[in-house]
Amino acid sequence: MTRTNNPIARFLIYIALALFTIYNVLPFGWTILNSIKLPKDANARTPRFIFSPTGDNYAELWLNVSPEDFAPYGLLLVLIIFALGVIVFSAKRIPAPNSLIYFGVIGAGVLVALGLPRVVNTAEFYDYLINSVIVTVGTLAVSLSIGALAGYGLARFRHVVSVYILVIALAFRSLPSLALVLPFYYLGQLSGLYDTHILLIFCLVAVNQPFTIWMLRSFFMEIPIEIEEAAMIDGAGRLRSFLSVIVPIMWPGIITTGLFTLLLAYNDFLLARILTQINWTLPVGIAQWTGGEDPGHVTLAAAASVSTTLPILFVIIFFQKYLIRGLASGAVKG
Amino acid sequence: MKKGTFIFFVGPSVFIMLALMTLPLLASIWLGLNYITFRNLDEPLWVGFQNYQEVLADPEFWDSLEFTLIFILVTVPLRILLGLMFALLLDQIARFRGVFIAAALVPFVMTPVVGTLIFRDMFDRGGPYWYWMQQLFDYRLFMNSATVPLLIIFHSIWTATPFAMIVLFAGLQTLPQESLEAARVDGATWFRQLWHVAIPHLRSLFIFIALISIMDAYRVFDSVFVLTQQNPIYDAETIMYYNFQVAMSFGRLGKANAMSVLTVIGIFVVLIPFLVMTYREQTEEN
Repeated sequence: MTRTNNPIARFLIYIALALFTIYNVLPFGWTILNSIKLPKDANARTPRFIFSPTGDNYAELWLNVSPEDFAPYGLLLVLIIFALGVIVFSAKRIPAPNSLIYFGVIGAGVLVALGLPRVVNTAEFYDYLINSVIVTVGTLAVSLSIGALAGYGLARFRHVVSVYILVIALAFRSLPSLALVLPFYYLGQLSGLYDTHILLIFCLVAVNQPFTIWMLRSFFMEIPIEIEEAAMIDGAGRLRSFLSVIVPIMWPGIITTGLFTLLLAYNDFLLARILTQINWTLPVGIAQWTGGEDPGHVTLAAAASVSTTLPILFVIIFFQKYLIRGLASGAVKG
Repeated sequence: MKKGTFIFFVGPSVFIMLALMTLPLLASIWLGLNYITFRNLDEPLWVGFQNYQEVLADPEFWDSLEFTLIFILVTVPLRILLGLMFALLLDQIARFRGVFIAAALVPFVMTPVVGTLIFRDMFDRGGPYWYWMQQLFDYRLFMNSATVPLLIIFHSIWTATPFAMIVLFAGLQTLPQESLEAARVDGATWFRQLWHVAIPHLRSLFIFIALISIMDAYRVFDSVFVLTQQNPIYDAETIMYYNFQVAMSFGRLGKANAMSVLTVIGIFVVLIPFLVMTYREQTEEN
């Protein structure tokens, strides 16, 4: 639409958007400040923006031992994570197959994650993080692989059965997850699967599956059918042509769908709250500080909030364009 | 694609949806007809429709339904309006769009429990919003049954406006240029372009956002859990939250399942027109 030429109007628009931006990020900024405050600063009657910072909250959150041991290990860990990050970012310039590098980095990450509790005395919050990672990765793997097959099948098989499946999936998509999780809880209790990662992953996959197949199908629809027809003329079967021709060009769609799945699994509170007892994920772990009168809760909850949010923010910033494209593609199709 | 290949591709997903969604729903119907608490999980007591009678006679259930409906009626239009407003503002400028959009993603992607927690900290005694309200308007905010429901509504708008904004902004980029050009030649002002070209073009997006928002709205749980601190005095239970409480706090699994069956029926009744619409659309596409 026509853009305004009036400099004052333009200035006001920038001011309005700047205020909107502050309104969006200020609460998180405030929480970062709270997370490095002493309880007496965080519980002051007037907001304190200037104070002497402390790392105690993070030490108390992550470790059972006294804070003196915290600094060297923390520094080492930050260095290792940074080094792995650098390797991932410069993977294209290293003269080795990319997949090898990525697997190596993932392997190193798993080793560090498993080895850490043996080196330092980690607190329960570390276990919540590991649980969250296991559940999120498990949900992503199952949900995307099954969903990609189904999305492709539904995009290519033009038949009334496909329409039935899609409409039923849409109906499922609209269900409140509580309606599913209560029977899951009951069956989990009876079968002894209660409080396991498997049960939570299955529940999240189920809740997420309708959305996954709808979204992936819409991406597969954009791929011209001639591409795999060419591969099949060359003698490749359906599955071969799907894996070797379609999936490689579908990566953007799979990443986009994966991001929404990741947000759903990592952010989920209700399902994990009901289906776990001690194997909590991060949101359930944080919820324990939501009430209560203990003044230390504010700073601990802030440190926990920052620790939970930073990983997801890094992922989102890295893949931002996929997320926005996903939102926009929902937009274009309606 | 042949039928066999189709079954091979779609089979796992359909199996997952049958086994992990249909079966639990059937189980839910059965559980709703039994008296079950944490103590008699393995030997439920058949009580027929007693749970349903109890739910329908429960004033708390109707209260939570009422708040859920108010929540939907207030938040859904506000999300769309504010989203449209900021999308139009973004459309006006050329620089820093990426920064504004990236910042808007923060409340949207943040874990809801965390987001609510830090949102509450802003309004708690000693938080910046609390302090500024006191300084500027001489208003001291207390958490009570009037303010907590408002904060729940405000929080939902805070997290969901960016979604509407990004979707509508993307929609604005696909406006039919010929119509805009024609309008411009006719000397149409910005408002007339908005009213006659943009809004009709964005109509399907408004429906899309409204649908997603309504689905989000009757599911709202995390923010209620955090902002009420599980304390009933704030009188801000939504239907999901009350349902959760009946199950996990009061331990009445049978009654909770009856309640969720009622919720599902209610949702389907509202949803049928959209399902029929989708069915027609998809059949035409095929």
